[in-house]
Amino acid sequence: MSVHLTEPENLVLQARDVRFDWSQVPLHWIPGDPVATHLVNVLHLLLPAGEEWFVRVFKEAVPHIADDRLREDVLGFIGQEAVHASSHDGVLDHFMEQGLDVRPFVRQAEFLFEGLLGDRNLTGDRKRAWLYERISLIAAIEHFTGVLGDWILNAEALDEAGADPTMMDLLRWHGAEEVEHRHVAHDLFMHLDGSYPTRLRAMAETITMLATLWHRGHRFLMAADPVVKGRIKGGVHHLRRTGPAGLTPDGRMVAASVRRYLKRSYSPLNEGSTSQALAYLASSPAAQAALR
Amino acid sequence: MRDQIPPDLRGRRARDPFWVAASALFNGVQRIRSLREPVIPAVKPVDRTRVMLVQEVRREAADVVSLRLGAPDGRMLPAWQPGCHLDVLLPSGRRRQYSLCGDPADRRSYRVAVRRLPDGSGGSAEIHDTLVEGASLTVSEPRNAFPFLVRDRYLFLAGGIGVTPILPMVQAAHRLRADWRLIYTGRSRDTLPFLDELPAERVTVRTDDEHGVPDCADLLADAAGAAVYCCGPAPMIDGVRAAFAPTGGATLHFERFAPAPITDGRPFEIELARTGVTLPVPADRSALEVIRDALPDVAYSCRQGFCGTCRVGLLAGDADRRHPGDAAPDSLLPCVSRATGGRLTLDL
Repeated sequence: MSVHLTEPENLVLQARDVRFDWSQVPLHWIPGDPVATHLVNVLHLLLPAGEEWFVRVFKEAVPHIADDRLREDVLGFIGQEAVHASSHDGVLDHFMEQGLDVRPFVRQAEFLFEGLLGDRNLTGDRKRAWLYERISLIAAIEHFTGVLGDWILNAEALDEAGADPTMMDLLRWHGAEEVEHRHVAHDLFMHLDGSYPTRLRAMAETITMLATLWHRGHRFLMAADPVVKGRIKGGVHHLRRTGPAGLTPDGRMVAASVRRYLKRSYSPLNEGSTSQALAYLASSPAAQAALR
Repeated sequence: MRDQIPPDLRGRRARDPFWVAASALFNGVQRIRSLREPVIPAVKPVDRTRVMLVQEVRREAADVVSLRLGAPDGRMLPAWQPGCHLDVLLPSGRRRQYSLCGDPADRRSYRVAVRRLPDGSGGSAEIHDTLVEGASLTVSEPRNAFPFLVRDRYLFLAGGIGVTPILPMVQAAHRLRADWRLIYTGRSRDTLPFLDELPAERVTVRTDDEHGVPDCADLLADAAGAAVYCCGPAPMIDGVRAAFAPTGGATLHFERFAPAPITDGRPFEIELARTGVTLPVPADRSALEVIRDALPDVAYSCRQGFCGTCRVGLLAGDADRRHPGDAAPDSLLPCVSRATGGRLTLDL
């Protein structure tokens, strides 16, 4: 008899009713490093609009699912994503209070997810094709959220740099739930459509979209920051320093994960560790408080 | 308004040239691709249920029986881990969830245990009265809502039939050579199943007839630094949740099969505006459950009011709002909120 337990499988996904108190979180929550702080902060600008879009698209997909277990997974996923969106909204309010006006960029994120990727008033098969198209994009985006979730759970350099504990708990709680539900969007896409060329196209579009938004978002934040006041120009080239330093994800790590995604045999379950994610959720101050 | 091209980031132009170009490119590609009629692949239905044979029915305590289930042809069953449960579809159509309480290493049979609930809705009585060896039963794949994590120290708290998911955890903790204790509570010794399977030196039995009703703070006296896994009746779980403090890195783990019971519920009606159907909501059910009976594809998630997934337009009626997140006057969270009386008209 083996004394090692295998990775927890077949999890029932449940949303957690977390709350965060932002009042003590400094503007530059990685002390003395506004560049790295804002590289991560771009997430906060994109996530509320992005995850609300996930929720709308997946709700539209529910009636088409012919697998009870996948339907349960999708419903659990929707609840977790909805709580993520509202939690990151809280961070944006805190930015505004500190004199960082994020509204112009948030407005652009809303245009992307509610306009360009929103409902197109289609009917019949065209409506269904547009739904599947968006699910393929979400499956590709969820590859990155799973990889980033795994990264933040292991980002000890941020703890060593003295990153704010409340912000770290938000990012790690969110990252752990992303790891916990990392298979759902891919499973949904494979169940409904499953076309390999569509997966490739979705990944190409997602990389283009995320890289562009990251670059523009960082430039925007560095220019709008009330302390930096544009004295340092933003952009993703800063990843060349912050990635190897462990303060942000490293480009090579992300590129390696994309090569795994491109294989036909790709399974999101091979990215990250469910037991590590669950161990974090068991000790996360926000997730533990939600139990009481 | 949000589908209009936004102003640029510095507020100089009403339409950001980046988004003008990005929209033109993306919409152009979509237009070209839409020249071909889309081909929608048929969705292959997946049935994950299986018919199992009741191999053995055993009385484990005064009102508890265990069922050993196996495949009719004796083949291997899907693997499971401590904390997993099965959905059991009873011949009457009732669907019940039971924790797996056998040995995960036994790949040819599953064991579940069922306490007869005299005031229950009939599922446990059906199992006790009608299932005999040789009967067949449809079950789902094992699912885990109570995952067991590797730690050095465990405190297991089991109340009565709540011992079922704890049994495989105890075995796993034993195999991990972890430092573990189990406090097993119940009315009296003869109501506690599986006492003979538990090593007496690590198990404290606390019965109401000998020790009085347990105090949750006492149950947690030894919790510092441990992973606390608790399964039992709802008041026990609520008491442990309230008394728990994360001292020394202690963590709390529990499982809820159903949302918290409805308190002070009054019956009311909901009208689904798009179909004109009116449905009665009894005092002990949520509006969401009633809606799901009529519209099985309606989306919901947390069933506690905080995630907002089931939010629906409220067209008429006085809402009895039961979650702080349910404040908007023109919508309602049917998983928790009810009517103050009479009828609610919902945009469904």
